[in-house]
Amino acid sequence: MAAATPSSLVPDRAMHHKRPPFWRNVGVLKWVVQIVVLLLVIGAFWFLSTQALSNLDDKGIPVDYNWMSGPANIQLGEGIDTVPNSAGRALWSGMVTTLRLAGAGIVASTILGVLIGLARLSNNWLANRAAGTFIETLRNIPVLVQMLLWFAILTSLGDLVNNDPETAANEESGPIPGWLYISKKGISLPRFFWADGFYQWLVFLIVGGAIAMFVRRRIQAKQNLVGGTAPTASVPLAIFAAFAVVGWFINPVVGGIGNVFDAMESAWGSIPESGMRIFLSVAAVAAAALWIKRFLDSKRSPAGLAKLTDDDYFRMIFAGVAALAFMAFAWRVWPGGASWLINSGSDFWGWLGDKFGNGRNARPLDGMRPTINEGRFSNYGPTGWTMTVFFGSLFLGLVLYTASFIAEIVRGGILAVPKGQTEAAMALGLSRVQALRKVILPQAFRVIMPPLGNQYLNITKNTSLAIAVGLSDVVQVGQTVYNKNNQTLAVFGIWMAFYLICSLTISAIVNFVNGRLAIVER
Amino acid sequence: MTMTDTALSEELASRRDMIECVGVKKWFGDFQALGGIDLTVKEQEVMVVLGPSGSGKSTLIRCINRLEVHQEGTIVVDGIELTNDLRNIDKIRSEVGMVFQQFNLFPHLTVIDNITLAPIWVRKKSKVEALRVARELLERVGIPEQAEKFPGQLSGGQQQRVAIARSLAMEPNIMLFDEPTSALDPEMISEVLDVMKGLAESGMTMVVVTHEMGFAREVADRLVFMEDGMVVEINNPEDFFTNPKSERTQLFLSQIL
Amino acid sequence: MTDSINTAPATDNLDALIAANAPPEIPTHGAVDWMKKNLFSSISTTVQTFLFITLLVLILRWLLGLIFDPEASWDSVATNMRLLFTYNYPADQFIRIWFTVGALLTAVGLTIAAWGVDPKLSVKKLGGNLVGVGALIAIMGIIAPASSTIKTGMIVVGVLIAVLGYGISRVLGEQKISFFPFLLVVAGFWLAVLWLVPFGRNEFIDGAVSNLPGTINPSTKIPWTILILLFLGSVLAGRALVTVIKPQALRLTMIAWWVVGPAFLIFLVLRDPQFDYDKVLRTDVPWALGFAIIGGAILYWLAKPGVGEIGRLFAASATLFALFNWVAAFAGWYSMLQKVRLSFLVFALFALAAPTFAGERSVRLKFVYAWVGTVAIGHWLITGINTVSTLDIAAPPFLGGFTLSMVIAYYVMLASFPLGIILALARTSKLPIFRLLSTLYIEFVRGVPLITILFFFSIMVNLFLPGGMELAELAAIFLGYALFSAAYMAENVRGGLQSIRVGQYEASDALGLTTSQRTIFIVLPQALRVTIPNLVGQAIGTFKETSLIAIVGGFDLLNVAKQSIPNQPDFLGQNKPALLFICAIYWAGSYSMSRASRNLETKLGVGTR
Repeated sequence: MAAATPSSLVPDRAMHHKRPPFWRNVGVLKWVVQIVVLLLVIGAFWFLSTQALSNLDDKGIPVDYNWMSGPANIQLGEGIDTVPNSAGRALWSGMVTTLRLAGAGIVASTILGVLIGLARLSNNWLANRAAGTFIETLRNIPVLVQMLLWFAILTSLGDLVNNDPETAANEESGPIPGWLYISKKGISLPRFFWADGFYQWLVFLIVGGAIAMFVRRRIQAKQNLVGGTAPTASVPLAIFAAFAVVGWFINPVVGGIGNVFDAMESAWGSIPESGMRIFLSVAAVAAAALWIKRFLDSKRSPAGLAKLTDDDYFRMIFAGVAALAFMAFAWRVWPGGASWLINSGSDFWGWLGDKFGNGRNARPLDGMRPTINEGRFSNYGPTGWTMTVFFGSLFLGLVLYTASFIAEIVRGGILAVPKGQTEAAMALGLSRVQALRKVILPQAFRVIMPPLGNQYLNITKNTSLAIAVGLSDVVQVGQTVYNKNNQTLAVFGIWMAFYLICSLTISAIVNFVNGRLAIVER
Repeated sequence: MTMTDTALSEELASRRDMIECVGVKKWFGDFQALGGIDLTVKEQEVMVVLGPSGSGKSTLIRCINRLEVHQEGTIVVDGIELTNDLRNIDKIRSEVGMVFQQFNLFPHLTVIDNITLAPIWVRKKSKVEALRVARELLERVGIPEQAEKFPGQLSGGQQQRVAIARSLAMEPNIMLFDEPTSALDPEMISEVLDVMKGLAESGMTMVVVTHEMGFAREVADRLVFMEDGMVVEINNPEDFFTNPKSERTQLFLSQIL
Repeated sequence: MTDSINTAPATDNLDALIAANAPPEIPTHGAVDWMKKNLFSSISTTVQTFLFITLLVLILRWLLGLIFDPEASWDSVATNMRLLFTYNYPADQFIRIWFTVGALLTAVGLTIAAWGVDPKLSVKKLGGNLVGVGALIAIMGIIAPASSTIKTGMIVVGVLIAVLGYGISRVLGEQKISFFPFLLVVAGFWLAVLWLVPFGRNEFIDGAVSNLPGTINPSTKIPWTILILLFLGSVLAGRALVTVIKPQALRLTMIAWWVVGPAFLIFLVLRDPQFDYDKVLRTDVPWALGFAIIGGAILYWLAKPGVGEIGRLFAASATLFALFNWVAAFAGWYSMLQKVRLSFLVFALFALAAPTFAGERSVRLKFVYAWVGTVAIGHWLITGINTVSTLDIAAPPFLGGFTLSMVIAYYVMLASFPLGIILALARTSKLPIFRLLSTLYIEFVRGVPLITILFFFSIMVNLFLPGGMELAELAAIFLGYALFSAAYMAENVRGGLQSIRVGQYEASDALGLTTSQRTIFIVLPQALRVTIPNLVGQAIGTFKETSLIAIVGGFDLLNVAKQSIPNQPDFLGQNKPALLFICAIYWAGSYSMSRASRNLETKLGVGTR
């Protein structure tokens, strides 16, 4: 380049860099400060944890998770296992109750919230005002107070009277005796349940669904070429229905699949423990190496490797350190982890295998009606779908409170779509329903999804208030456990891990859906 | 014989160096924004930097102010080399004033507070003194009556003049202008350019990135043409417009004039 | 804020989605027309109307059934007012409570005046609201499952209110009334309620319930009358004051008061420490003077413009020394008064901040004054807190009920504010380790429920402290709640930080401001202004979630309602009336805050700039 020979102008002193002393060097100082703060944080953690460990030691409380498999000696109010044989099993039952409550709450509050949000947008004055009052009332009262109020209301309902056929009919309680009961013991409905043949039937459903999807894609491909209307919905549905119906009757045919799972069980169970650990270590290192390679590739361009910033180096170092930390965890911190992984993997295959095989030739689904024993719902044997007052008060409190927030989110999302979008859709000659489905809702969903996901997280976290009414969720069971064995620290660890996994799962799902919506919209 | 030498008049060459850039290179990720810039700005010189968008003009003057950190080469401003030295960065920042395309006034402060903030907290002046200087500067840029207003209440041209006053309040030795008139409505451009002309006449060392050819021709001591992160031509205004040396400069001028 | 503000987004999409955002107009010309337009415009709306009428009647009747339940004893609430609001606070010391409330109301009045709050209220809208409220009361009177006297009474009151509302909107029409006359009317209304409505005199006398007819007890209504008048007077006084001094000065004073004042009221007025003046003179005063004078002199030197690296080095070593004091205390190497350790820590913070606030003499003196003020107030408060109380209360938390809920909510917000700002700054920082630490903290805290954190702190904190050190349970719960809230605060503040344009940073850098000067003078003032509506939202959430304290054993409003009252022999098992009553309290608090926030949002024009 001709323009670049200014040697005569630049004095020598500017040609060589003068390195400033380190205490004035910004590049050095910023790392010094960061590392000092990091060390302070690590030091504080180290100090507090040694204190806690020595304090626990003084009290004679061992710090491990061996108590998980020890006897529990507790009885739970409700759950998948009310008389668990180990503390771990009790906590697991509590987790399932929490998940049930969260799942039911998410579904119900979404439906109710959307309905109320739409009513809030209605041009009917009464609907609009009623929805507004609902929202403004319920979201300004603490959810815990609402739950306790529901508990007080539900527990003051009438008694449950035996519906034994021997006794007179006028003693039977419930709005529809034998079918629906509402009482201070809870609400009970008839229910369907997965009977013995369900998993074998599920195989038919999955195969049928896959074939239906394949056919649908073929039909769509043809329609794209030819145009016009094609049976994109009816034919695949018919195929799926045919599989479902045929599978309903001949499902025992696939019972042999159970043998595959049994083989998996024994194969998985025979993995040596050190083999598992080595595999985990190799996987961690490989993942870190792969990540670093990808990262470097992303920085490479036809012009060559870009200048890496401190930040980039930090990320790569962090990936390496994370892999090392994982290895340390697998070999040192939790040596039993590998065998746990092997056992639970093997258990999983065994569980799947149990779902198939001999003697499983009943119907896939079956139904039951509520039954009453001595003034309470039967816990065991054939019985209906029962929601206890504990579960019910939590459920009502959570759903009504959260629905008031979801209604506002739905309303805001729909209002956020500019007016011009509707007008443009109408101008193109789309019908109202088409405009709503193809133009308004996809755009509204993008606004609605992130705060809606936040509400789902809130529901999950608010299930922890179950302890206020004594529902056996993971927090209440955990408290019972540590009141018995003083393992507070360990139980807290389980709580935190459980809720973090739930939160991360929900945000991952919401992000995934949101990502899909964004792509669809483009 | 290099172009740089021919562009320097003898009188200019005898002056002190205010800014010296040697082999300055800068990357953004894998994009090279500056490909080795060599440039010297003399005391009291007005240097106008021209070039198509994306040619690295703004990056260059932002490196001189260390808003961007150059990765290779040397920049010396008023005898102080730009390094990671805390002391030097502070010194240079308070000696080099900068005016931005988007004004960047602080919207939560009144005009007078915008101007006095840095003199009080960086130059450690007393409030009384800072206020006196600020009022003088507002007088100089022609809007003394707007002192108590908020930036949002002023027109674009007025805002840019406040921004110039704000920089001048730090009593800088060098002023950098990054397309100061590009965000203005046409009728407001001249009021800002007039202030800049006055500043140039008062002997301020200035580096100006602009598309205002009239201003460049009238005020500049030297013109620099940049393309793709390189200096293509340095010339005096007369020769630059009538007799450019580089073909690329000719092409640029034919597109713009 | 000159440009006109329109916060309502573009509306009316499809028919079913048309937003009837604004309240419909009052049926001034023809109720039939109005009903045709708003209730029976098409078949689907007619169906909706009947559906909602049925639903509303059913729900209202059920709700009223809860209130007029013959088994519900509302005496349980009326008799336990004192328990609900102040818990165990001794009755003979109630003058302290009245003084505190008076001080708070005065401060509210002055704050209103300092910020020039003066919304113009539309008479038409007020009248419309009154008509609505009256109609609702009358309808409830018709469907309520109660005695015919109550039903008639409700209908009559409802019709009267509706007629009054209709009347004023007809007579005064399009006029707008300003804030103070409105306050006068509201105050008059409450005074009338206090002195005229026969709520009955319910109280415990020697452990037995006394239930006399008549208006509220004089021991309640006389103080409240004085307080209401005091509030009105303080608004007027504040307005007079801003004509004499600059509003800016009054605002700063009020902000300082709201940070420090409540602590004075709680720890020095309500708790009434029994100072041992001999000890105070021998140890507390000398320490405070020492810190104020020596520390002040050092800070004056540190804030000199030319101090340079020596100053930084000094501040860094002062910080290390202050931190080391805590390590030494934990490890038991040497002991030091808690107050002194804290003072060293605060001094270190001031020393670190000194270069940021360095300047010529008057600027430096201001900095030193701030230090002296902090020392004086801090030492007085800590001495007060560490002194035994004169109050004769067995359990250490001398506050309970509504007061405890309010105090916790207020201090959780106050404490999480600086923490949240620091976390948000770290999370948006360019420095990767800071960003990582902050992100880990925030995402961890936001991923777990508050109740587990409260359990952790109420049970576990003392496990992590070395032998001999202890934290009271309520303080531990407060600490946990504040740390929890800080993560949410950080996310709110981060939203504000992200709204600031990069040009603001560049302009500050170009002017030579240091990073901390840029943050304090340029970035935070703009970011926090954007954040205000979200902060109010968080304050509402915090206020509601103080109810969780009941689960970990604190005697807040909820715990009194769900546990104390139903356990009294006179009101055994009576939990529904008390729970309904606290629903009303929580609702009133949250709703008024959210309304205020919405008005503020409109006034600040957030989202329009």
